[in-house]
Amino acid sequence: MTTGRQVYDPVAPEYSGPQQLRQSLDGLAGKVVGFIDNAKPNFNYLVDDLAELLVSKHGVERVVKRRKRGAGVPVPDAVMQELSDQCDAVITGSGD
Amino acid sequence: MGRAQARGLGYADLPIAVMPHPFGTLTRDGVRTLAVSLVADIASLACKSTDAVAAGTPAQTECAALVDVGADADDVNALFRAQGWTDGLPVVAPTQKRVQRMLEATTRHPDEIVARLPPGFGAATVQRIAINAVMAGCDPACMPVLIAAVEAVTPPQFNVQTIQTTTNPATVWLIVNGPIAQDLGMNGNLNCLGQTNWANATLGRALHLILLNIGRAVPGELDRATHGQPGKYTFCCAENETETPWEPLHVEKGYRADQSTVTVVGAEGTLNMNTHTKNADEILNVIAATLPRPPSNDYLNGGNPWIVLSPEHAHILHAAGLTKAQVKSRLWEQSKMSVRLLPPIDFARIQSVRGPELGTFTQDTLLPIATTPDNIGILVAGGPGTHSTYVPSLGSTRSVTRVILP
Repeated sequence: MTTGRQVYDPVAPEYSGPQQLRQSLDGLAGKVVGFIDNAKPNFNYLVDDLAELLVSKHGVERVVKRRKRGAGVPVPDAVMQELSDQCDAVITGSGD
Repeated sequence: MGRAQARGLGYADLPIAVMPHPFGTLTRDGVRTLAVSLVADIASLACKSTDAVAAGTPAQTECAALVDVGADADDVNALFRAQGWTDGLPVVAPTQKRVQRMLEATTRHPDEIVARLPPGFGAATVQRIAINAVMAGCDPACMPVLIAAVEAVTPPQFNVQTIQTTTNPATVWLIVNGPIAQDLGMNGNLNCLGQTNWANATLGRALHLILLNIGRAVPGELDRATHGQPGKYTFCCAENETETPWEPLHVEKGYRADQSTVTVVGAEGTLNMNTHTKNADEILNVIAATLPRPPSNDYLNGGNPWIVLSPEHAHILHAAGLTKAQVKSRLWEQSKMSVRLLPPIDFARIQSVRGPELGTFTQDTLLPIATTPDNIGILVAGGPGTHSTYVPSLGSTRSVTRVILP
């Protein structure tokens, strides 16, 4: 660089603030697993199949399924609370 | 996207299983096969011990970095192009002097974080807003408008998260009301959604640069738009407050006429509605017949569609004794769409989304475009002519209006 000048970088770094460590499970046997169906096509079937497989093959005791009203809207707080109260782990998905 | 979102929301070690795209078009058997192949991975991830994530080293400062560059404008644009810092158009170099001039147009502190913008949750400091405003070519007097616009996109009901990341052609339309529109020389008249007005063009561009550079909605990465749309470069206008027969938008929203506001809309484009009729009922019939479309996100979600009425059409409706609220009610009632137009998969999808509102669908169900008439937006803008414009919305969004402060 020669007789240059300085300009500002306009980009903000992605947020990298305080991170919380998730809880890990020692196994799925006897656990309650929640699903948030993202309301995209086919996701309800994937939830049904995974739920059945987790119970039959991995010893999951119970599955709680909840469906979002639409793909582009968040899960209501009450549903989040319900899943948080009942489940040892919650699975959701993104994409088409 | 999942990893970036998890990081932004404070769970960088969220376990993620990846499945191939496309998923939505798989057969029922295909979904079953996929589930069988995924379940062991999911079970393993759920039990995976927590990684020793670098737990939170918040940035010591959000002060933007200075970068050395050659003196020539070509050098600046070569740098910005190579770094992916522009919308694809040349920019004005954000030098210290220019950014300082922009900052002097607001009383807000340069380090203040106005918002964290998804999907990257970068910090929209006043300084970064100023930097992107310089790049877009804004006059310093635009700064208060941009700060208010950044504040306006953040409430959950606007759903900027989805606007920034969806496969739909969603963008943010900026509407400015009140005295500042005139002070800035904004256009709410002829060609108000078109080119050449400096304030309209640069304000809209600046907001979209902010969403790109601070929100980090980079196309192909976290911005997953299938096609996008031209309004992702700039989409901004004023209302034609001198020619509207009704109260202007900001007064309708509860502000005084002498206040200035910015309104953000989650928009999907524009569609011309040209009718030469001078009859109010016929104008409403034309508009109401234009809105129903089977792939519409407004009908899918119960949305927030906007009608930009030309002054000519607005005056005909007003002369027939109609208020804005009555126009909304008439359009809401007359534009209901038969579910018979929907392919079965979309019928099921919309039933899922709108079932709580409308009950179980039959083949005779009629879908309203919005959950309530009031969610239809009306703006009077444009010049002489027999055209009004439909601005479809993303559906899962509600416009937000914010007052512009110094």
